[in-house]
Amino acid sequence: MTTNSIKLLYIEDDTEIGELVTEQLRAKSYEVKWLKSGEEALREAEGCSLVVLDVMLPGLDGFTIGQRLKKANPDLPILMLSARTSIDDKLQGLEFADDYVTKPFHPDELSARIEVLLRRGGRRSSEPTKVKHLLVYEAENRIVHADTGEELALGGKQFHIFMFLFRHLGQILTKEQIYEAVWGESYLDGDKTLMVHIRHLREKIEKDPASPEVVETIRGLGYRVRA
Amino acid sequence: MNKRYDSQAPVRKSRLLPGSLQGQYLIIVLAAFLFIPVIIPLASLTYTIVQWSSKSDMESGAKYGGTSGLLSDWHAHAANMEGKSDAAIDEALIELKRRYPEASMFWVDANGATRSQLPPQLDIPAQWTPEEAIRFMKASIGKDPYTVIAFLGKENAGSSFMTIRMPREAISTGNPNGSGTPYYIAFVFVMFSVFVAMSLLFFRHIRRRLLRLQSAMARQDEHGIPEPVAIKRWHEIGALEYSFNGMVAQLRDSRQRQSEEEQLRKSLVANLSHDLRTPLTIMQGHLYQLREEPLSPKGQQSVSVMQGKAEGLGELIDNLLAYTLMTSGRYKLTLETVDIVRLARESAASWYPLWEREGLEVDVRLPHEQLIWQGDRAGLQRMLDNLFQNVVRHARDGGYIGLALEKRHGRPCLVVSDKGRGLNSESSATGAGVGLAIVDYLADSMGLVRETASSEEGTRVYLYEKTNDGRGYF
Repeated sequence: MTTNSIKLLYIEDDTEIGELVTEQLRAKSYEVKWLKSGEEALREAEGCSLVVLDVMLPGLDGFTIGQRLKKANPDLPILMLSARTSIDDKLQGLEFADDYVTKPFHPDELSARIEVLLRRGGRRSSEPTKVKHLLVYEAENRIVHADTGEELALGGKQFHIFMFLFRHLGQILTKEQIYEAVWGESYLDGDKTLMVHIRHLREKIEKDPASPEVVETIRGLGYRVRA
Repeated sequence: MNKRYDSQAPVRKSRLLPGSLQGQYLIIVLAAFLFIPVIIPLASLTYTIVQWSSKSDMESGAKYGGTSGLLSDWHAHAANMEGKSDAAIDEALIELKRRYPEASMFWVDANGATRSQLPPQLDIPAQWTPEEAIRFMKASIGKDPYTVIAFLGKENAGSSFMTIRMPREAISTGNPNGSGTPYYIAFVFVMFSVFVAMSLLFFRHIRRRLLRLQSAMARQDEHGIPEPVAIKRWHEIGALEYSFNGMVAQLRDSRQRQSEEEQLRKSLVANLSHDLRTPLTIMQGHLYQLREEPLSPKGQQSVSVMQGKAEGLGELIDNLLAYTLMTSGRYKLTLETVDIVRLARESAASWYPLWEREGLEVDVRLPHEQLIWQGDRAGLQRMLDNLFQNVVRHARDGGYIGLALEKRHGRPCLVVSDKGRGLNSESSATGAGVGLAIVDYLADSMGLVRETASSEEGTRVYLYEKTNDGRGYF
């Protein structure tokens, strides 16, 4: 799980929702700074790792604030939270926002999306993440066997494949997505190449490569790494 | 706002004025009717006038003043002979012969003897008896040469007389009869030409006005509404142009109203959406917190039922508002080539965790080959989301979701299947409708067909491309 003292900026005008979300995010050990309007957003965003932004706000609306934040700090991930209908806002909002959650949302979904954004944004913690029997030190590009403390030596492509799956923890990635992300080429006849690399990867990281636990095969869809 | 045009065009009252087309047309018809009865007599009158004036012209312009001139002149000459001797008369006659070279003349003295024949004339007796004088006079009346007999002396009262015989040729110019005929023809021709020219001008005028109006109707601004035309003259076509302008103004008004209404609807939908979702979000947040509290198993079950319902309600609101926006044309589709197999696989991948949590058996049978459809990426995504959502919400009891590429009616077809009790069962009749309506609307916009086969064993939803003639297989 995500470690503590990651600062989030949360901008929401509705008191009830604001209180709920703040409480739930704090329960996930995030440090939450909650603003009721976006006027101070630029100044308050300093030192924050992510911004959760409501669309409908008094004064400046969420789109304007989001665009300003993005302009001032392009690396700061922004998650839009909207109670407006999704098809209308999605087009406008996603031009700058990194993700988009429509109200009503499940609290777990929100924190899951925040985690993904933080990881994707390179907000790497020095603390290792436990994946089955592995400890992944993302910042140091190290994978250690939790039981033996032995560091696993992976080939370049194998490591890339694993880290790509790891950064999308819990998500299923299709062969096309993996191949295109790792090889940077469009997936046409990459099937065999990818299969070979996955097999080699499993031989190195799985306890039993015949029944893999870390890199799951989701039949017909792709692969997944789960915490 | 556009200026309003009232339907009563001011042209109405001027229907019979020369300005109106009807009036102009009536004049032309009248001219056509009166052509024979008016133009022909007019031409005849012209002919007569020409004839008459040429006649009088001839009289005054003819040599020696014509017959009447000669007559009076000859009498004057005769009067001048008063008291002259016979020899002097002979001389005077020679003088006169010089003056009228064409004529032949002679005079008869008081004794009835013919003198000074200039030139000598065979039919003249040398000695005149009264009988011969009368016979000569009778023979001369109205004949050629024109003969004038005048008694000499004052008041022409003498007993001797002098005669001049002038060939009629010499005192007339040509044949005056029929000299007006070219004028007659020219007049009729000119009148006819004027009539034809007037008719042509009249129709050309109408034609030009109509063409102008036609081109004005064809010219459209950016909203597909024609521009109003400038009204030049207030006749019937002017009235037509006026009505046309009125129509254009109405179109613009309604266009404006429509866009205002659309704006209103859009903001209404947005506000409604906000107002419906905010309490739902709060409810869900609290339900989530409630679940963390120590509850009896029954309480836990209640909370999870409520959570399910709140989620369903959220989806329903989203679908309902999305459908409203789509059908009002707010959602613009951009067609591009989309690998539908890849899209379906990635979509299923993102849904997989939820299916897993719901305990569904996931059966994905998609080939690793491309299948290109022309579609809107977000729209296709939305269609699949709605189909998957329906399975999760309404066919969960079947414990199965299938996604496959099959052949249907000889063409590749994406199949989403479940083993629920079917679309006709009670659960699906409620919420699934809007979701499917969105699927159908999007499918139709992208040239796709949705077909559903539902039975007790489950439901299969087929998506495939329409045939080239724009119709699906049924």
